[in-house]
Amino acid sequence: MTAVAAPARDTFGVFGTTATLLVSEQAALAPARAIADAELAAVDAACSRFRPDSELSALNAAGGAATQVSELMADLLGAALRAAELTGGAVDPTCGQALAAIGYDRDFAEIRAAGVPRHQRAGPVAGWRNVHLDRGRRQARLDHGAQLDLGATAKAWAADRCAGLIAARIGCGVLLSLGGDVAVSGPAPADCWRVRVTDDHAAGPDAPGQTVLIRSGGLATSSTTVRAWSAGGDPVHHIIDPATGEPARSRWRTVSVAAGSCADANSASTAAIVLGEAAIEWLERACLPARLVSHDGQVQTAAGWPAAGPERVTR
Amino acid sequence: MRQGSERSAAAVRDDGLRRISRLTWRAGAAGVICSAVIAAAFGHHVKSTSPATSRPSQGSILIPAQPPAAGSGSGQVTSGAS
Repeated sequence: MTAVAAPARDTFGVFGTTATLLVSEQAALAPARAIADAELAAVDAACSRFRPDSELSALNAAGGAATQVSELMADLLGAALRAAELTGGAVDPTCGQALAAIGYDRDFAEIRAAGVPRHQRAGPVAGWRNVHLDRGRRQARLDHGAQLDLGATAKAWAADRCAGLIAARIGCGVLLSLGGDVAVSGPAPADCWRVRVTDDHAAGPDAPGQTVLIRSGGLATSSTTVRAWSAGGDPVHHIIDPATGEPARSRWRTVSVAAGSCADANSASTAAIVLGEAAIEWLERACLPARLVSHDGQVQTAAGWPAAGPERVTR
Repeated sequence: MRQGSERSAAAVRDDGLRRISRLTWRAGAAGVICSAVIAAAFGHHVKSTSPATSRPSQGSILIPAQPPAAGSGSGQVTSGAS
């Protein structure tokens, strides 16, 4: 196939958010979209918290009994447990009860439209060590009443999976953004992929923020400003601090991280929100380039994130 | 005469066995030394060719092969929260 000057583009809705697919060849767009559609549908069927027929719902309802899981669900659980382990538990897949307690028990569009009454406080989450995955037998089990929510990892993991499959099967360069979780694979354009980092993925390509160039791996942004709502009059958001079971009270409103994969970038950006003040040192130690925006709009960077021009983020 | 000849044959045989034993020991020692030299050379080679940006083992968050570079203008996509 012959490279074109501008990549071919497709935009579509998925997981209650917007996906953008860029491929280096026009002819690759339709087959790439077909691959993405099939994989994303399978991921949704496996791990949606809002689908009673999902594998995740079955596991949450099993009362601690061992449950058979598909290979895909085992991979998704494995990715969630990996994120928990590598972030020291800052990103925890057992936030299901905590999210339900602040009203996030249905599709987010319904919450934003109607608001929700505050439920009882959930307290600290059960913890990822109460999630037992036996890959050999393809069984999973939840102890101590743990309830899963894979929202912190599944979308980014799916972006990696789709991008990797598209590049491998079609042989083109690909960038897939699922609600701002960006994975790239295959040969990058000569002038790299251009990504605008900002608070809200739905903002335009010139939104306040910074444009960076990436060639491989992934880039993800976590923020407390977008998936936020009122629960019984309290402002809440979807990033849970596992230690309290409450929305994280962070110094940062938005954190963007580049990593070797989108899943790892997303784990690190979410962990940085939860870690708050300690995030910069943690990111530096992990050698993960990051851009952190505080609530007053001040920007700090870590581990080689490129300097911006005179731009300053405002809200 | 016959008895002297038998003794001489036994002495020759014992001498040969001693030589074989010495050779076997020397070959074994040489093998150990060669193995150590090869191991040292191979280990040094692996260490010296690992790039600074290589990905760590599965027990770490994967660092990017190249850090992001500064860009300008609009993005092809936007990374923000959803």
